[in-house]
Amino acid sequence: MDFVEKRLTQRAKRGDREAFAELIEIYKDKIFQLAYRMVGNRQDAEDIAQETFLRVYANLHSYDDSYKFSTWIYRIATNLCIDRGRKKRPDFSLDEETEPGQGMDWYSRLSSSEKTPEDKVVTQELQETVQDALSHLQPKYRSIMILRYIEDLSLQEISDIVKLPITTIKTRIHRGREALRSKLRLM
Amino acid sequence: MECREMIILIHEYLDGDTDELANQHLQAHIRSCASCRQHMHELQRAIAFVQSASHIHVSPDFTARVLAQLPAPTKANLFSSWLRNHPFLTAAAVFLFLMTGSLCANWFDRDNTLQVSSANMDKLKIDRQRNVVVVPAGTSIDGDLVVRNGNVDVQGHVKGNVVAIEGKVFVASTAQVVGNTESIEAIFDWIWYEVKNIGNDLLPILP
Repeated sequence: MDFVEKRLTQRAKRGDREAFAELIEIYKDKIFQLAYRMVGNRQDAEDIAQETFLRVYANLHSYDDSYKFSTWIYRIATNLCIDRGRKKRPDFSLDEETEPGQGMDWYSRLSSSEKTPEDKVVTQELQETVQDALSHLQPKYRSIMILRYIEDLSLQEISDIVKLPITTIKTRIHRGREALRSKLRLM
Repeated sequence: MECREMIILIHEYLDGDTDELANQHLQAHIRSCASCRQHMHELQRAIAFVQSASHIHVSPDFTARVLAQLPAPTKANLFSSWLRNHPFLTAAAVFLFLMTGSLCANWFDRDNTLQVSSANMDKLKIDRQRNVVVVPAGTSIDGDLVVRNGNVDVQGHVKGNVVAIEGKVFVASTAQVVGNTESIEAIFDWIWYEVKNIGNDLLPILP
């Protein structure tokens, strides 16, 4: 896997768009997932994911491939999410057309899964609770909890991504777990 | 051990940082202490809860939209990717470029002084006033005789080609030239001559 990514990043560095498209395919869901759990809505999350890949492309020349590509891209995405949280995001309406003139609004984009209506409600409630619990964490704990338990990364990799020592990561995970625990006790 | 310290141990356990001894210690405490048991259970539930977050997918046209927003490839990029895709044509182009370059350089870098190349310089008579190289009657020159910026007057014997670049070759009735005599005055003649030389050099290699 690492070898494949190394080849792809080298090709993308030389301006090969097909290689870059393959890198997007490998990482788009992971990055979108991280962004979605950080900001809590699809539109902002897609914007962040898109911005992440555009930044990756613009900075490929400065990427040092002795580091893992995943570490680098997660770092860019995490920073974008935290920056986005600092700014007040512009209001967004579901009635807005996704692309001008296409006649599609954001309701049509909302995913529909193949479950029965009851299942859907239950799943959706659970998902909303997860999202709600996460959104009550401070961004610096939220990002690390997402990287650890949703993206399933090791402590070492998280430490590389946020450029903080492992002991700090552990402290944040401990506090994040405690915060989630007390949040869930109330539900 | 106090329960406060136990909580720290529980977190270390959840991070996978405890050794066998600490694990046994923790299990023993948890069996006897209901509040710590409860605490650990709640933490494990919190983890499982976050992990249960369903994995959502980005919209299907995401990749295409990102690619559409990339800056347009520069001319240099297009050119270099064309070169990468056509290695043979690239090699041929480079070869031709260097060949014409060196031929032209030979042609344009000349000066106007008389230049003679021959294996038997001592036997030649060089008349600088008239810019003529004379092969005197009764002498024999081994190999080719090449003169630049002057004429050649052959009266004796040459066992090779006689070439005058930017000059003329006069062959007297007494002369004997084993090879060809040639006068080269234009750049195309010069290039042709060089190409022929390469051809002649290569021919013996071929079977």
